[in-house]
Amino acid sequence: MTFPPVQETETAPQRIPTQAQLEKIAPTRDERLFLVLSIFIGVLSGLLVVSFRIAIEWIKILTLGSAPHAGQLRLLFVPAIAGLIVAALVQLAFPAARGSGVNQTKAALYIYNGYISFKTVIGKFITSALAIGSGHSLGPEDPSLQIGAGVASIVARRLNLSRQRLRLFAPIGAAAGLAAAFNAPISAILFVIEEVIGRWSAAVLGSVVLSAISSVVVARWFWGSEPIFRIPTVTLRDPRELIAYAVLGIVGGFAALVFSKALGYLRPRLRAMPKWTQYCQSGLAGLLVGMIGFFGFPQVMGPGYEVIDQAMHGQFAWKLLLVLALLKILATTLSFSSGTPGGMFAPTLFIGAMLGASVGSFEKLFFPHLTGTVGSYALVGMGVLFAGFLRAPLTSVFMVLEVSGNYSIILPVILANMIAYLLSRGLQPVPIFEVFTHQDGLALPSMEEIREESELHLEDALIPVQVPIVKGNQSIANAGEIVAATQAKAFLVSLWDGSWYALTTGELTSFSATLTPETPIEQALPPERLPLLFPDLPLDSALPYFPRWPLLPIMNRATKGTIEGIVTLEDVLQRYHKI
Amino acid sequence: MSALQLRSALTPEERQQKQKLIVRDSLALLSLFAIVVVLFFITLFLFHSFSVHRQELAQRWRTRGEGALRAGKPIAAIDALRSALAYSPDDENLQIELAEALAAAGRTQEAVAYFNTLLDSRPGSGMINLQLARMASKQGEEAAALEYYQTALDGTWEGDGYIRRREVRLELAQYLIDRKRYDQAKNQLLIAAGNAPDDAGLEITMAALLEKAQDPGNALHLYKKAIQHRPVRIDALLGAGRTTYALGRYLPAKDFLERALNHPEFEKEPAGLQLQYRDMLSDADHILLLYPGPDRSVRDRAERILANRNTAQDRLASCLSTKNVMPPELQALNNQWQQIPATLRRLQLEQDPELEQKIMQLVYQTEEVTSQQCGTPTGNDALLLKIAKAPEAVEQR
Repeated sequence: MTFPPVQETETAPQRIPTQAQLEKIAPTRDERLFLVLSIFIGVLSGLLVVSFRIAIEWIKILTLGSAPHAGQLRLLFVPAIAGLIVAALVQLAFPAARGSGVNQTKAALYIYNGYISFKTVIGKFITSALAIGSGHSLGPEDPSLQIGAGVASIVARRLNLSRQRLRLFAPIGAAAGLAAAFNAPISAILFVIEEVIGRWSAAVLGSVVLSAISSVVVARWFWGSEPIFRIPTVTLRDPRELIAYAVLGIVGGFAALVFSKALGYLRPRLRAMPKWTQYCQSGLAGLLVGMIGFFGFPQVMGPGYEVIDQAMHGQFAWKLLLVLALLKILATTLSFSSGTPGGMFAPTLFIGAMLGASVGSFEKLFFPHLTGTVGSYALVGMGVLFAGFLRAPLTSVFMVLEVSGNYSIILPVILANMIAYLLSRGLQPVPIFEVFTHQDGLALPSMEEIREESELHLEDALIPVQVPIVKGNQSIANAGEIVAATQAKAFLVSLWDGSWYALTTGELTSFSATLTPETPIEQALPPERLPLLFPDLPLDSALPYFPRWPLLPIMNRATKGTIEGIVTLEDVLQRYHKI
Repeated sequence: MSALQLRSALTPEERQQKQKLIVRDSLALLSLFAIVVVLFFITLFLFHSFSVHRQELAQRWRTRGEGALRAGKPIAAIDALRSALAYSPDDENLQIELAEALAAAGRTQEAVAYFNTLLDSRPGSGMINLQLARMASKQGEEAAALEYYQTALDGTWEGDGYIRRREVRLELAQYLIDRKRYDQAKNQLLIAAGNAPDDAGLEITMAALLEKAQDPGNALHLYKKAIQHRPVRIDALLGAGRTTYALGRYLPAKDFLERALNHPEFEKEPAGLQLQYRDMLSDADHILLLYPGPDRSVRDRAERILANRNTAQDRLASCLSTKNVMPPELQALNNQWQQIPATLRRLQLEQDPELEQKIMQLVYQTEEVTSQQCGTPTGNDALLLKIAKAPEAVEQR
């Protein structure tokens, strides 16, 4: 994967002010533009994603026909020819369009200062639409995410925003693109936080929400408020069904493992092949996927939303559902590993839905007294694979809740998703996006590790108060005696208004030299005061104060004026060394 | 701008730069807005053309699917209807048609799964419950079928619910008749008849089902209602003839059958049926000639009774001649005949109505007992046996 170098925005210094000048003449400009542009980015991303989906559907109808079915010769050659064209476009014109789009967006955020070129956006749009529309087993969500991020990057660059802001626009656009593709803003926001940013960030959350909502408003203006697939009645009437959902979680966990292993095995091997083979890998993958369709299972071609819909509405028997899930794993592995641009979300949802519906149909058939609907199982199955394969547990739960619009499914969703997530983590410690990152030779941060990082707090470096504490109204002479008795290098001064001062012996000596011994110490002190710090604050929050203060008191939040302990620079550094 | 200028502590050059920046940002936002508007209209155009095309495709595949289903090609219908549903996923009728096609193709498991899912989303749907009832019926699950039929009757129907419920009730009645649950079938049919409009075709259909449910009385009532309509339908006349005949009401049976046989469409009936109805009319005619009804003249009655007595006695004698050991029933019958005077004159009978009644009862009893002991009778004996089943009904209108 190659990315163009970061381009600085100062191309015409006479006309466009530098960032330093901007900081001076319009210090709040970036902040204000940030929110306004978030809405624009949301709307633009929404429109582009709607067009993207229409393009996919048109290409599908024009190439595969309005009702592709087994035995049609076009199923064999259309994906193969489209694969050859897509591979040529990717190799010759749009190298950054390769892959799903999630890692590329993360790379833009962490490596390229939020830079995604216009060419990449166009390339992603064209190549993904062509590949997905012609039947490659890939989905449009991840490309939508990258298209959104690309739109955000282009808009932010045009407005000459600061580098810091420019970086933040990538996840904002990504959330907008994904939200429009999913028609589910909460899931998109959570996914971007879980998988792209890695942690909750107040600086970007408001804008992410704004852009996601704007894009969904646009998408719903066209597609309506209904989710991508029709959601059947979702219920949990009998608690015994939780056993079946737990089974689904286990099945999903293993399926996620198989899927990950297959991709982890094939993708690097295909990438390592000679350069010229890159031109025909997509074509060959298309031919193989086409063969699956030609010989009886055209359902696995393309994103498969209508098949998910059919499975949810009980149109397939459980054995067929199981076969479709397995073939989809195979088809997606072939398509994705060949470097064909396209996403993993839709195939993941497809496999999950098939497995879920299969378990549900099996239950209906052999345990008819349990009353859960096949649709419920398919829906939970989607969440299960999302949690197990994409390793976004929070998004997986909220995605199911959001698309179903039904809170009563929460128990099965949490149970099954967590089982799948834990199983997948146990069996495959490295999440799939990280596997791809490593295969691409990048070193992007691990979102799972970031999420689970245990942050150090001040309480971790806290030591008991071992320095003298003197009142502000005590005289300099008195303070001197106390300090001399304890031989402390610094001590704390408690002032009448509840504030504190950390006085060094050096300062005290200079006071003694210039003032009378009876002078109250508070009269000698300069106006600055110690910062108010509490035990639960991050450990690094103390670092900025050490150049000025020799020690910092850590206060009790419940009792004003009560010191919990103190920290020194040495204590903080020692604590960091212990990690 | 002036307020900004007043507040800021910028050099004149910086102020100028700031003004330029504000203008530049405003222009950038305006151009962004213009791009949004242009892109919106492009997307709208694409979306509109795409939606129209989807509707066309949905209709095209629907027509093909329905055609295939009508032509008895369920496999082709499944593919076509699935394609139609891909472009019009919310069409309930399409969904039901697809499930029907699955069932017709013998893919029962898929069809049941599909219907069950449809039912989950619309548990009160009469149509879905009806389809599930049919599937359960095909699979021999009688209890489930009856439950689904009942739910279909109680369920919701769109628009023509009144008619559809009646159709379901008739279907349920037929299902019950097939399982020889005649009383339940009769109840369903009587409910249907009670709520049905005065329509000859409908009355004939329900009457035919009532006949099958072994309720000729109510069937006759409906046939008679159907006959009131003009032009009179042949099947109403035949049905009325059949049911009156079955009820032993040979006088009206003769009327209905004569009208039926004279109906211009009678000749279109299959030859076997024509012969059957002609025999029925002939029997009814003969029965009326044998039956000593109260409306007859005293002399005619006495002559018929004497003739019937001779027929019955001959039948008894013939039956006794076949037995080496006389069964007690025949012995008792013989004893009763012994108590009747051996030589009876017509005048004697004309003056003694009680004796007339006694003789006729003995005639009916003889025909019944001999038919049990010596097999099915023929000729007048067979006709007398028919009368014996309900003598008072013979001339009942």
